[in-house]
Amino acid sequence: MATRANPLKNNASKFAFLTMHPPPGYVAGLGRGASGFTTRSDIGPAREAGSMEDPASDLHSNANSKEIEPEQFQDPENETGLFAGTVYDRDDEEADKIYDMIDDKMDERRRAKREAAEKKSQEAHLAANPKIQTQFSDLKRSLAHVSEEEWGALPEAGSLTGKRRKNNTRNDGKSYVVPDSVLAGAREKNELSSSVDDDAGVATPASSGNTTDFREIGQARDKSLSLRLDQLSGASGSGSASTSAGTPSSTQSSNDSSTFTPSTSNATGTSTSVDPKGYLSGLNSVQLKSDAEIGDIKKARALLESVIKTNPKHAPGWIAAGRVEEVAGRQAVARKVIAAGCDNCPKSEDVWLEAARLNIPQDAKVILANAISHLPQSVKIWLKAVDLENDPKSKRRVLRKAIEYIPNSVRLWKEAVNMEDDPQDALILLARATELIPSSVELWLALARLETPENAKKIINKARKTIPTSHEIWIAAARLQEQVGASSNDIDKLVNNGVGSLRSSGALLSREQWLKEAERVEQEGSPLTCAAIVKATIHHEIEDEDKYAVWMDDADSLEDRGSIETARAVIAFALKVFPERSKLWRRAAELEKQHGNRNTLTDILKTATQNCPKAEVLWLMLAKEHWLGGDVDSARQVLGDAFNANPSSEAVWLAAVKLEAENNEIKNARMLLNKARLQSSTERIWMKSAVFERQHGNSIEALKCVNEALTKFPTFDKLYMIKVGLLDGNVDGGGDDNGSRSNNKEIRDTFAAALKKCPQSPTLWILSSRFEEKMGVIIRSRALLEKGRLINKNCDILWAEAIRVEERANAGNQAKGLLSKALQECQTSGLLWSIAIWMEPRPSRKTKSVDALRKVTDDPTIIVTVARMLWMEGKKDKARSWLSKSCKADPDNGDHWAWWYKFELQDGTQENAQNVLESAKQAEPHHGEIWQSVIKDDANIGKAYNVLIKQTASKLS
Amino acid sequence: MSYFLPHLPSGWHVDQAILSEDDRVVVIRFGKDSDPNCMVMDETLYNISESVANFAVVYLCDNTLVPDFNKMYELYDDTTVMFFYRNKHIMIDLGTGNNNKINWPMDNKQEMIDIIETVYRGASKGRGLVVSPKDYSTRYKY
Repeated sequence: MATRANPLKNNASKFAFLTMHPPPGYVAGLGRGASGFTTRSDIGPAREAGSMEDPASDLHSNANSKEIEPEQFQDPENETGLFAGTVYDRDDEEADKIYDMIDDKMDERRRAKREAAEKKSQEAHLAANPKIQTQFSDLKRSLAHVSEEEWGALPEAGSLTGKRRKNNTRNDGKSYVVPDSVLAGAREKNELSSSVDDDAGVATPASSGNTTDFREIGQARDKSLSLRLDQLSGASGSGSASTSAGTPSSTQSSNDSSTFTPSTSNATGTSTSVDPKGYLSGLNSVQLKSDAEIGDIKKARALLESVIKTNPKHAPGWIAAGRVEEVAGRQAVARKVIAAGCDNCPKSEDVWLEAARLNIPQDAKVILANAISHLPQSVKIWLKAVDLENDPKSKRRVLRKAIEYIPNSVRLWKEAVNMEDDPQDALILLARATELIPSSVELWLALARLETPENAKKIINKARKTIPTSHEIWIAAARLQEQVGASSNDIDKLVNNGVGSLRSSGALLSREQWLKEAERVEQEGSPLTCAAIVKATIHHEIEDEDKYAVWMDDADSLEDRGSIETARAVIAFALKVFPERSKLWRRAAELEKQHGNRNTLTDILKTATQNCPKAEVLWLMLAKEHWLGGDVDSARQVLGDAFNANPSSEAVWLAAVKLEAENNEIKNARMLLNKARLQSSTERIWMKSAVFERQHGNSIEALKCVNEALTKFPTFDKLYMIKVGLLDGNVDGGGDDNGSRSNNKEIRDTFAAALKKCPQSPTLWILSSRFEEKMGVIIRSRALLEKGRLINKNCDILWAEAIRVEERANAGNQAKGLLSKALQECQTSGLLWSIAIWMEPRPSRKTKSVDALRKVTDDPTIIVTVARMLWMEGKKDKARSWLSKSCKADPDNGDHWAWWYKFELQDGTQENAQNVLESAKQAEPHHGEIWQSVIKDDANIGKAYNVLIKQTASKLS
Repeated sequence: MSYFLPHLPSGWHVDQAILSEDDRVVVIRFGKDSDPNCMVMDETLYNISESVANFAVVYLCDNTLVPDFNKMYELYDDTTVMFFYRNKHIMIDLGTGNNNKINWPMDNKQEMIDIIETVYRGASKGRGLVVSPKDYSTRYKY
């Protein structure tokens, strides 16, 4: 026994628990989180790991657990008992009866006593733990006496949930940046309260005492910002160097030091304005001075020192080391470093330049002199030396010396020429320069510019001989000729020669390059040369069949870029090649109309009409130009010529009629119309004559005209419309009931006939529906529209009209139903979608409009609808941009223009409104529901566009 | 019963016994000390307790005196042996259908040692269920 390793002796403390007493009320298994398991449901409920009952009851549980639960030994497969399977027969029934009787009997005995006892115990239980409801019943009853005011004065319960979090943030000592919007809002609030404070301060204790003064905070912010701006505008001079200090490789690769010189000159100037370059570099310098960056400087210094030591012949290392010292603010050390650099790398011009930059000018001069002894061929060092000189004389001296050393540097020569005040000296210099560097086009051109025209010609000739491949010289020659006043023929010839000789010498420019040259020349103010270049080169490199398209493209793009002369020249050349193309003539006329004056336009149009006499448009344009210029007679003349060229053109006829009518020559107009009807009897002429008669108050004549026309053209829907309009007008005129009734009948008949003849005209359907609606027979108008929709599938106007009919009849639900049907049939109709948007309640309009935009991407109607929504939401800028978008998408729609005008009138400036009117006038809109009703009104004949737009805008809703 | 094996007189002691071991299997026999089947089991356990002392410790618990775990561990048999390792009940597939415990008296000492060793090996590798080296599905009849 003694040899056995008793666990109790192994580790006394480990097994100490064996001798200890369990804590009272300990729930077994709970302390170690034990969980049970269930293997068989018939042997009892497991998983009752430590129950959470109170310990006192746990003591009883020992006794309780002895109790046998009735279900415990139930066989799970045979649930109802041993005899469950047997048949229930009469004996069983009898037995049950007897048992029931016994039960009843037993129940009967001492019932009263038992029930009384039960009741008593229940009451006792209720008294011991009463319901909350009963506990508060007396208080509840007194609620009846609470007055309205007391009820209203009850404080809100308030949420307790957020409290802990709030405390936490306060305790953490965290702070957050207040957004600007809050600051601005608070400042405004503060301003208000400060003015009210005097008398109402007592009533609003919150705003008077402990609140933060947001205005002061805002001012402090402004101040600190301005301080910083001042600081960086002062520091940017030195800061520019620091930008490149961080990246030594950038200076190493860039050969000209001029990359950083401009930035310094920018920043050292005025400190009031902050230029972007200086601002950025300034920011860099500010950052470098902060504490965190000092470590970086130290690191950079150590790094660069090692670079210098390991590779002392590496110039960028020296430069970077010098700059780091400079940035760290140690100028003297920087100079020392760069001086050592100069000793080590005497052949690097960058090091010398850096040394010169770091030293004061006097020392810099010495350094540069030293540099030149090492690098006499460095243009940069010479230029820097010139920069360092103060007075022009010494500058000139240094430059001369430089040229002695480097006679073939164009840059030095140019500097020298620029330095000269006297043109004669400059001339001499240039002459010498061109001798020494004959291949520099720049110098030749500079020389030619300085010379008198005659000498210039000679010089240019000389230049041409020395550099036969330069097109600049040829262009310069052409420009020179133009300045002298040579004719365009001469210039053309010159340029032609030039192009030829360039080609022979092998210097070929592409067509595009030539066009660019032409544009440049145009900008420099030589239109003739420009035209000559275009003429000489525009036909190069294109196939014959492409010519027309390419030239049109060229003209378009040139016009877009604002090179009008070049575009004109291109079109002129194209016209020479294709004189019979009326489209080209129109293009030319448009160009002239936009950028030229009336004379050039009429000239172009005249030649155009001569070349394409069959193009009515050109004739009409010409006539219109004459008329606009106030020259009615020549307009007539032009139209007469047009008649000769196109004897039976209705457009010309109608133009003539319009001309007469607008000039109040009614008789002439009527005569012309009569003639037109006889000579070229088209439906439009008939219609116009009817309209003409109506407009001049002669409705009977008009009706006669319409009737006659209808016999000729029974399928022309507009005639019916005019007829209905005439009949309707008669109704309004003639007051008596009888006549109007007969008139109504006549109108109805007309509609019936019209719809039979031209069922494809949605407008007719709509008009007839409106007529019925006006008569108060909505059922009929509905039926008409239904029929119309059957015949004209996918016609959104008909759908829209049907929806509006319902809306006018106050049948909102039906309208909605129709709308959804309509949208199914015409999914891409902007009109229907915009109706759908307006039918939505306000909050859901936005989502609807997004849907609409997805379905119908760029329908102008939708765009206007969206713009109006934005306007209603107060987003003016957006609304404006959307309106302009819609007007650009469909400039022919007067409604859009009117909306825009209305918007500008109400929420924009007067100036903008005027602009809108102007552009609307130029667009000359023809369509738009309300717009058409306005322009077709007899009262508005002959009114200007701006008046019409104003009227339309007032009608919009 | 074996007087030489430590007894656990309460639920708390059972829990402490299970919690006290860090690297040994805790073998607890639940049962009525006076039951003859239980006595057989106790005898076996006592005889092997010395040989497995390095990786297992054996306790006895009379579940008529300590009924706390009767429901939880379904202690309705004469004798039940359960294994714990680091406060985790280790199951063992004995082939009997009940993997939670050994609920019949074992009289073969070597088999018992083998079972405890298997439990120890499996449990120290992190297994929750180990497979008994011997299949008892035919030996033990319910």
